[in-house]
Amino acid sequence: MSPVEFLRKRFLLPEDWLNGLETCKDQETIFVGTPEVMEFNTVKPLRRGIRLCRLFTFSVKPTTFAMQVLGRAAAANRIEVDEEKAKLLINGGTIEIDAEVENGFVIIVWQRFVVGVGIYKKPVLKSCIPKFRPVD
Amino acid sequence: MRTRRDLFPVEFIARYEKFIPDFDEFLEAMLTPLPRVFRVNTIKAAPEEVLPLIADLNPEPLSYLPGAYQVQDGAGLGRRLIHFLGLIYVQEAASMIPPLLLNPQPGQRVLDLAAAPGSKTTQMAAMMKNQGLLIANDLSFQRVRGLIGNVDRMGCLNVVVCRADGIVLARQLSGTCDRVLVDAPCSSEGTIRKTQEALQRWSVRGIENFSRVQKGLITAGYQALKPGGLMVYSTCTIAPEENEVVVAYLLKRFPEAEILPMELSNFQMRPALSDWNGNKFPPAVVQCRRILPQDNNTEAFFVALIRKPDDVTC
Repeated sequence: MSPVEFLRKRFLLPEDWLNGLETCKDQETIFVGTPEVMEFNTVKPLRRGIRLCRLFTFSVKPTTFAMQVLGRAAAANRIEVDEEKAKLLINGGTIEIDAEVENGFVIIVWQRFVVGVGIYKKPVLKSCIPKFRPVD
Repeated sequence: MRTRRDLFPVEFIARYEKFIPDFDEFLEAMLTPLPRVFRVNTIKAAPEEVLPLIADLNPEPLSYLPGAYQVQDGAGLGRRLIHFLGLIYVQEAASMIPPLLLNPQPGQRVLDLAAAPGSKTTQMAAMMKNQGLLIANDLSFQRVRGLIGNVDRMGCLNVVVCRADGIVLARQLSGTCDRVLVDAPCSSEGTIRKTQEALQRWSVRGIENFSRVQKGLITAGYQALKPGGLMVYSTCTIAPEENEVVVAYLLKRFPEAEILPMELSNFQMRPALSDWNGNKFPPAVVQCRRILPQDNNTEAFFVALIRKPDDVTC
């Protein structure tokens, strides 16, 4: 199974979740962007589109920023949190939460918006959100 | 007793008093803190989804900028949850004008020659509905890191980020771009309302150095345009050497380049200068526009909308 298909199935995303987009692999990272972004070859860019996921030997780790824009329709392995917990996770924290999800990578949601990616091992949810300026 | 004028270098006053209308009003505006303005990132959400999340700040829409809002007390806006989620981008109002005038469309190939930190890049990516190709370039590695961070946060899937000399890159892209934005590095006199740094660094020699770089960038940006393509040249500075003089230089190199008239409803822009230091500019230069801080309560800006004619060979 391709990493893109793995992510689609894990989060029960729609069949067309990357409709109109293309991916490319650079070392152990898969990037996603428009076809024009992937075809651009006038110079070697530092970055094409955004990072979709990192490939590890036994897993595929989705990125926070890709899931924020492409993962809103996730129907499985998503954990909804309140504002206080969302901030705690963005600031690098870990929370305990009893959620009906599989262990492994999950999508963290506040209101209707994807906050980022975490790793869940019941009942602990650990943030995988990249370090950013602290959120108050 | 110290007056407003004493807060600026004597040479600054002497240069600009000559041509800036309502000069005392201008100085007063330059010393007044800017209102906090943000735009909703329509790549991720519609304004009606986002605004209720910051209702406590009572955001007021800016009539001349669709999707942009002003708040009275915006301190800490950049540390809010909705900022991290990429639902808003804090951006000065005048800085949103160049992309608005360039009006990039979905599916087009657009070049942003001096893109970092990505305010205008991410604004254009949203205007393009996250489709097509937006080439965002900057020379400084440090600044490119910030640019990538903003492209990620705003979810821009139509952006490639390059780190190259803008002049070299634009020449490599010769004749291929539908739209080019040259928001040139400048002496940043227009940002004095935000930070006094520009005033502390201010010198005529600095202005002349920037002018040389800007002439190279505007020329290269024009060369990157397809026939019929549009370019916006903009700076956040007042110095004619970085504005009208640069556009006049382009017209001297490429006499066929067309300077287009510009107008925005509910937003006042003033005509550019027709001459400076005894030198008359080509008549088309007055079609460029100056944005003065006292007119719309923004930073000072300069904008030129330039078209490459259809019948020009690249």
